[in-house]
Amino acid sequence: MRVTGWGGCLAATGLLLAGCGGGPGGGDEKISDGKVVLAVLNDQSGIYADTSGRQTIEAVKMAVTDFQAKYGDKAASKTIEVKDADHQNKPEIANSKAQELYDRQQADVILDVPTSSAAFAVATIAKNKKKVFIDVGAASTELEGKQCNKYTFHYGYNSYMLAHGTGAEVTKDGSKNWYIVYPDYAFGQDMQKTFSAAIKEAGGTVVASDPTPFPNDNFSTFLLKAPNLDPKPQVIGTMQAGGDLVNLVKQYNEYKLRDKGVGLAVGLLALSDIHSLGSDALAGTRYTDMWYWNADEKSRAWADKFHAKTGKRPTANMAANYSAALQYLEAVQRGGTDNSDEVVKQLEGHKIEDMFARNATIRAQDHLLLHDAYLSEVKPSSEVKEPYDYVKVLKTIPASEAFQPRPDPACRL
Amino acid sequence: MLQQAFNGLVGGAFYALLALGLSVIFGMLGVVNLAHGAFYMLGAFGAFIALDAFGLNFWIALLLVPPLLGVAGIVLERLFIRRLTPLDPLYNFLFTFGLALILQDLVKREYGVSSQPYPRPQELDGTVDLGLFTYPAYQVFVLAVSVLMCVAVWLVLTRTRVGMIVRAATERPELTRGLGIDVGRWVTPVFGFGIALAAFAGVLAAPMRAVNPLMGADLIITVFAVVVIGGLGSVFGSVAAGFAVGLVSALGNLYVPALSQILVFILMAVVLLWRPAGLFGREEAFR
Amino acid sequence: MLRVDRLSAWYGEAQALREVSMRVDEGEIVTLVGRNGAGKTTLLRCLMGLHGTYGRTTGTVSLFDEDISGLAPHRRARHGLGFVPDDRGVYATLSVEENLLLPPVTKGGQEPWPLKRVYETFPPLRERRRFPGTKLSGGEQQMLALARVLRTGARLLLCDEPTEGLSPLIVQQIGEILREVKAAGVTVLLVEQNVHFAATVADRHYLLAEGRIVESLDNDQVREREHELLEYLGI
Ligand SMILES: Nc1ncnc2c1ncn2[C@@H]1O[C@H](COP(=O)(O)OP(=O)(O)OP(=O)(O)O)[C@@H](O)[C@H]1O
Ligand SMILES: [Mg+2]
Repeated sequence: MRVTGWGGCLAATGLLLAGCGGGPGGGDEKISDGKVVLAVLNDQSGIYADTSGRQTIEAVKMAVTDFQAKYGDKAASKTIEVKDADHQNKPEIANSKAQELYDRQQADVILDVPTSSAAFAVATIAKNKKKVFIDVGAASTELEGKQCNKYTFHYGYNSYMLAHGTGAEVTKDGSKNWYIVYPDYAFGQDMQKTFSAAIKEAGGTVVASDPTPFPNDNFSTFLLKAPNLDPKPQVIGTMQAGGDLVNLVKQYNEYKLRDKGVGLAVGLLALSDIHSLGSDALAGTRYTDMWYWNADEKSRAWADKFHAKTGKRPTANMAANYSAALQYLEAVQRGGTDNSDEVVKQLEGHKIEDMFARNATIRAQDHLLLHDAYLSEVKPSSEVKEPYDYVKVLKTIPASEAFQPRPDPACRL
Repeated sequence: MLQQAFNGLVGGAFYALLALGLSVIFGMLGVVNLAHGAFYMLGAFGAFIALDAFGLNFWIALLLVPPLLGVAGIVLERLFIRRLTPLDPLYNFLFTFGLALILQDLVKREYGVSSQPYPRPQELDGTVDLGLFTYPAYQVFVLAVSVLMCVAVWLVLTRTRVGMIVRAATERPELTRGLGIDVGRWVTPVFGFGIALAAFAGVLAAPMRAVNPLMGADLIITVFAVVVIGGLGSVFGSVAAGFAVGLVSALGNLYVPALSQILVFILMAVVLLWRPAGLFGREEAFR
Repeated sequence: MLRVDRLSAWYGEAQALREVSMRVDEGEIVTLVGRNGAGKTTLLRCLMGLHGTYGRTTGTVSLFDEDISGLAPHRRARHGLGFVPDDRGVYATLSVEENLLLPPVTKGGQEPWPLKRVYETFPPLRERRRFPGTKLSGGEQQMLALARVLRTGARLLLCDEPTEGLSPLIVQQIGEILREVKAAGVTVLLVEQNVHFAATVADRHYLLAEGRIVESLDNDQVREREHELLEYLGI
């Protein structure tokens, strides 16, 4: 562990003292403003509103309840509040909302923040204000690379996990030739790069890759082109998300490409997408996920509690936010304070085992959560036993292989 | 290549149907209907709801949903748009824009942002052999009914008295009234019809496109470009431009995928520089 | 037949007609003469009920002793008003024949001209009946505009400068048509800058200046003062 600055001061005294420079709130107050405030900042009306959105707030509230039930009177803070704001996936809105949450709403941590550009904006604010930010929703590996900082954590998944799970595994399985289509914006471009790298590493070839307009509802040009490429690709890797993905898959099925020997692999697939298409439309499609509600007893038990509360099955993103909130509170409990530097110290290198994060560690050098990921396959409707039970887990990808093996040297905390 | 061209025409069919309605409404009312995309979305959701809540299949939805939404359009015109037309055009601009957002949000509230499942009608599940290549039956169907619909509208516009009145009122509304025609009486049904056309396109889209609250908002931007390319207010122009834009974007995606995002707008800019009134602006319309 | 009583009209704040009062009797041809911008077109549009989109109007217009001031344009047309606008109002998107067929025949009006008669009187229109209206020459378009209102059986024609920009030969032809129309019992209110032509076809004349009727003249007076009037009109 690095022993510098605040950390050193704390390590030396074992306590948060005014003598160490104390920020607003003073030194003798262990819990700032007398309460811990968790803030969920995410997309509540746009394309990610169903994969994360307001349901994620419920998941975070469940974490608070579970935490309070566990510690009762011994909890480091009697009062724990959950706040939220809508960033509409726009970096400039994320920027101003994050400032407002930290400054005026007394937020101690911001959670979720899908859309990488918005996540970068919040990471910068967190760094300047020395407040904790645990990103769940964004995919970019730059959050633990160029954009990393002492107060920012990346929790759940990233494009490396998606690409190495799906790209490498499907290639090793015999589908050597890929045709990649990706939406022409930051997320898609990042996914295209990481997938191509993973495929090449696993001995495969990317025959061609095409950017598509975003948003787009007509992918037929690309789909018609696929079987005629030379060499003929065995699999189309689509990096589309949400409505675009639904459009692409519907049209993939129209052209009966599977019958023509061109399979489909999806970069990022949410439970709601499978529901939109019906599981038969995607049956046999492989993808990598960070969690699945019906994968085992432990996940299922939590999913049932969530269902009882919301009437819905949780997405992986919601479960990840639950876990992030819970682990944040546990860190406050261990350190006895919500002071950011102490929480960071408690989180760095910490080993985690909860219903979401399995065999997990928060890597101290880049604040990336390493945990087990799952190579999954969509089931045909004949195997679907209950609503939203669309997926079977083929293989657990161990935490040590699921994410970047080494921290990005570009990251200096 | 031929197959790609065909696929471009299928995509163009949706542009053509939407641009056609938009164009007729603009011609007759002078209103740029920014809610047109929302009605396309409602058409698709109408098909989904018909199936989900009432068990009515695609064919029934195709017959039922467009007239129903057409009636909704008529009510809308009577209650609001009619009152705003004598004022600055900006009022209807803002009104239809606001309406689009409200409709989108209402659907979002009820169904969320993710797409709703909608199956292809069984009858059209297979493929059709078109001689040079085979093609999904459903898409062939979409192209065929869209072309038929455009031709039918064309015939009504050019061969009937109603069509004659609509053309006259589109070209010179005031004079047409001065010649003894109650233009106001035709405005409402024309608006309703334009909306019904958008809904028709929406129902057709449901089996092959993502059915979600934003599907119309995304599409309508391109459709506005189509209408501008065809010549504002020119019915023939908007249909021709619809199919042409479909074709150009399909081939553009194939040969210059990097430009696919903006190709339609480049086309629009080029056309406007060359012919500021659009390809079929005013003079050339209806020939 | 037509009575106009203290008719005023505005474009926004600018007044274009100031308390115009005038009358046209059945079977007459009456011309309105006046400089450019005097308000002639505005007056005809007011009579037709078409000024509403530009600004407000006051005063009354009555046709056959019935107040039509509050009527919509299409109702006025059905009361027997036939309108020939200054730009002829030929539709580009309608064929020549459709241009002719567009306005409905008025009930209880003059004997409407059947299409056959229109074509006999104006042979070029028959030849080009499938052409878009605006493909006709200027003179042919003017004939089309006239024939169009005759076909409806209108009782009072409001013609805005039908001879403007046309060759003497065609002007002469239009004069003949107007006399023929008059003989058939149709009344005409004619806006005309060509005072010479006006004196050959019309019975009476009103001189309009800056939105006011300043003089009422008969044919002899017009002939006597032709030079003075031409100078005044700036021709
Ligand atoms: N659309 C308009 N907006 C504002 N003012 C107008 C408009 N049309 C006409 N005017 C004004 O109203 C007055 C009368 O115009 P009008 O067209 O009736 O004249 P006119 O006698 O028909 O002239 P001309 O011989 O040129 O046809 C003029 O001063 C003109 O500038
Ligand atoms: Mg005039």
